[in-house]
Amino acid sequence: MKFLKKAFDFVRTYFALLVVAAVFAWSALSIATFRAQHEKPGEIVIRLGHWQLEASVREGIDEMAAQYQKLHPNVRVVQDAIPEGTYGQWVSTQLMGGTAPDILQVGAQLPDNIWISYYNRYFQPLSRYVYSPNPYNKDTELADTPLRQTFKDGMKTAYVAEMQEYMSFPLSLFGVRIFYNKDLLKKLTGRDEAPLDYREFLAVCEQIKSQTNAVSGQAYIPIAGSAYHFGHWDSMMFSPVTYGCIRRADFNRDAFVGNDETYVAFRTGMLDFYYPPLACWLKMVREVTDEFQTGYTGLGRDEAVFLFAQQRAVFMTTGTWDARSLQEQAKGQFEVGIMDFPIPSPDDPVYGGVVEGRIYESPGAGFRFAITRSSQNFDVALDFLMFLASQKGNERLNEIIGWIPAIKGTEIDPLLQAFEPHLEGIYGAVSFSLGGNTSVTWGQQYSLYQVNQISFDDFAEKFTKYYIKNGLQDFLEQQRDWRRGMQRNEQYLAGIRARAILADDALAQAKTDEERQARAIDAESAWVRYRAITYARQLWSEINHARSVAQINQTELPEGWRGPYEYSDRVLEAIRARIAAEEGAKEPVEAEAPEAEPIAEEVAPPPAPAVEAEEAVAEPAPGEEPAPAAEKPAKKAKKSSKKKAKKVED
Amino acid sequence: MFKKLLSIGGAACLCAAFLFAGGCGKAGDAPDSGHGPVAEQIEKAWLDYRLNEWNGAEAGFTEALARTEEGSDDWAMCLYGLATTWNLRRPGEDPAKAEKMYRELLEKAPDSPMAPWTALALARQQHLVPVGQEPDYDAVNAAYQKIVDDYPGHLAAKEAFVYLQSILLAKLEPEAAKTAAANLEEYVSRESKEFVGPSYSLLSVAYTLLDDQAKRLDAEENAFEKTEVDPSDPSVEFAWAYWNLACISEFELGDFERARKYYKELIRLYPTDIRVYGCKQALKRMDELETKIRAELAAEKEADQ
Repeated sequence: MKFLKKAFDFVRTYFALLVVAAVFAWSALSIATFRAQHEKPGEIVIRLGHWQLEASVREGIDEMAAQYQKLHPNVRVVQDAIPEGTYGQWVSTQLMGGTAPDILQVGAQLPDNIWISYYNRYFQPLSRYVYSPNPYNKDTELADTPLRQTFKDGMKTAYVAEMQEYMSFPLSLFGVRIFYNKDLLKKLTGRDEAPLDYREFLAVCEQIKSQTNAVSGQAYIPIAGSAYHFGHWDSMMFSPVTYGCIRRADFNRDAFVGNDETYVAFRTGMLDFYYPPLACWLKMVREVTDEFQTGYTGLGRDEAVFLFAQQRAVFMTTGTWDARSLQEQAKGQFEVGIMDFPIPSPDDPVYGGVVEGRIYESPGAGFRFAITRSSQNFDVALDFLMFLASQKGNERLNEIIGWIPAIKGTEIDPLLQAFEPHLEGIYGAVSFSLGGNTSVTWGQQYSLYQVNQISFDDFAEKFTKYYIKNGLQDFLEQQRDWRRGMQRNEQYLAGIRARAILADDALAQAKTDEERQARAIDAESAWVRYRAITYARQLWSEINHARSVAQINQTELPEGWRGPYEYSDRVLEAIRARIAAEEGAKEPVEAEAPEAEPIAEEVAPPPAPAVEAEEAVAEPAPGEEPAPAAEKPAKKAKKSSKKKAKKVED
Repeated sequence: MFKKLLSIGGAACLCAAFLFAGGCGKAGDAPDSGHGPVAEQIEKAWLDYRLNEWNGAEAGFTEALARTEEGSDDWAMCLYGLATTWNLRRPGEDPAKAEKMYRELLEKAPDSPMAPWTALALARQQHLVPVGQEPDYDAVNAAYQKIVDDYPGHLAAKEAFVYLQSILLAKLEPEAAKTAAANLEEYVSRESKEFVGPSYSLLSVAYTLLDDQAKRLDAEENAFEKTEVDPSDPSVEFAWAYWNLACISEFELGDFERARKYYKELIRLYPTDIRVYGCKQALKRMDELETKIRAELAAEKEADQ
């Protein structure tokens, strides 16, 4: 009894100390027994961390791990699936604490510059492995192809320019298309397939909208939309309509219209919102978003998905990443169809001459994995990634997940065939983002226009006025930072230069001819890299900045100036003279000055569209006189832009 | 009460001891800074620099510096590394300290292999002033010119030369463009490799400013031919170069044969490039224009007869 009392007193007195000691002992025991239970003697455990919580991704990795284990019985792959929202913090903690998994998904959930510093410190460069064939492609047509070239995108997304190294293996391709409820479409419209023609698509939407659910009494929604989904529609369907602006505003002929070029084009009158590609773009925004549910801009992604899954909406746009989970949600309820974005036919009375084709989609791979420096089993981790990036392995992995394989010669799930990227086509060609208040104003006005709170004319007038008045200041403010980029490059180049100098030193110390030869190649390669990067990054900043500032300060274009893709009188004369000579004309044909309307514009772009948009043409552009009532709207829109352009030329 | 306090204190000490032990374990895992040969230390310090491990780089260069003989090549390399770390580290940069070190190097080891690079670093300091300030271009030009004069044939001098020409061209003035064009023509006539491609590119800028489109196209073609490529970079591609050459040929010279050649090369070599659609449009545009002109000429001829 006395002993018990003593023991009780002891526990009471040293309670805190005993609790800490007990917790420590328990933790140590737990870890030891856990490891003993899960790691068999001689077994290699590869941990793989990622943020894809979709069930099919986890299943896919598990199955590939099991297949790999059949080939390598002593290797076990364990995955850590971490929610997207916390992945950034989790990965940082793991890397900094030296407890990161062997393989980590990389490239998102943290800013780019953070990933670059992490690649530098915590990941193994993989460049030396990308020039040899993948051993797991042994019995395929890729058997002798260097790993890099087995990827559909040539591993472009795996290369980190700042480090001059390949850092990861991308395993899937992604794309965005329209998903639709096949059963509901059939029920409401009698159609088996969704229409790919823009007019038909709008007609189908109207048909859907006119019907109500007999049970709930609610009207059907043609398109489930949200602020998130609007971005897809805008980038994939609406903004490519602006492609034609290249012919007016791509002043440096690099095939793109930069934010400075857009501004100069507006300021000098080469562009305005009545120019057909811009008018048609905004008209399409209005027409399609009218088919979204009311108040969509205030809704998030999940709410739109809910409408689709609940069979209240027929269409919804999303990417390959949602394909399998949407299919799962719809299982037993309705069939999911996937379609391309509808485009107007070439003879469409409004868009026919403006929309020249489908959008260009760049084949860039994602779902990238890198190997951490803290991995105790680098070779095994690399081998497992090789297995996942093999033709058969990648095909199987993506088949399970429901994504598009990143490796050449792989089969795509029939459901995903609609995601095959368009490798030739048009793309968005204006940018109103000059930074500062101009960007804010753009966001405000464009949002109001999207929800039909302001008319096209009001939008065009208000934004143009603000843009021309304040854009220059915002652009110059943005340009103030141009030298900061040069300083970052200088920092980076000093490291590359030192590497080359040290390679020279190593060459000087080579003892054998063989060694000398190898080191000479190494040193030469290091210097080529240094010069190439100096040229690409440091030589042009000064000139480009000067050009940009000079350009944006332009209030009018040089006399006789035409669109960037139109021929000057001088060039037309030369062409004519050459053809005359070729035709064997006895006397050189006297070249005549071309008519005011440039020939190139007559022959190059498709015919001017007949913009019927009431919003686009009902009212004259700011500062313009109203066009005669009998004149066709399209002509009015074109004339408005051209008149201004002509004015500038004059 | 005392014993309770003792217990709590003991627990806290135990926790601290665990943490300390963990910390020691971690510290034990940290890479040893090493005291091997100076060359190894320098290499390690540069690696730290490239990994943006500024404190490690500074410590590495400082330690190696202490082990070298003043004025020796290793000493110069260490001092250059240390100065570069202070100059370009972010945050915590100290350009004044860096400048002092660069100058010390030039003074005490003027014949070191690092001297030209040090002179270039000083010139770059003058050129790359902080955001919001304007460089003193006269001083910058003088610094670059001094490198060109003092280290003829050295890569640093060639780099200084192209920076000098780019400053001249950035004025966007015909007179400056004329001077740059003459300098660059002279450079490309005597050099065969280093910075020759970039010099041709700058020549193209000069001829654009001088509105000499034929020479501009020649310069662009030479620049393309002489481009040095980092073979490991998959993002290096010449679709833009083909597009540029084609556009100059088509719109500045009306040389459809050359334009067609370059548009077709782009389509052939880069079938998935974003400009392929534009190339096909251009080929169509040129065909249609030629057909139109031929028809007009035929009609004129018929009218004459």
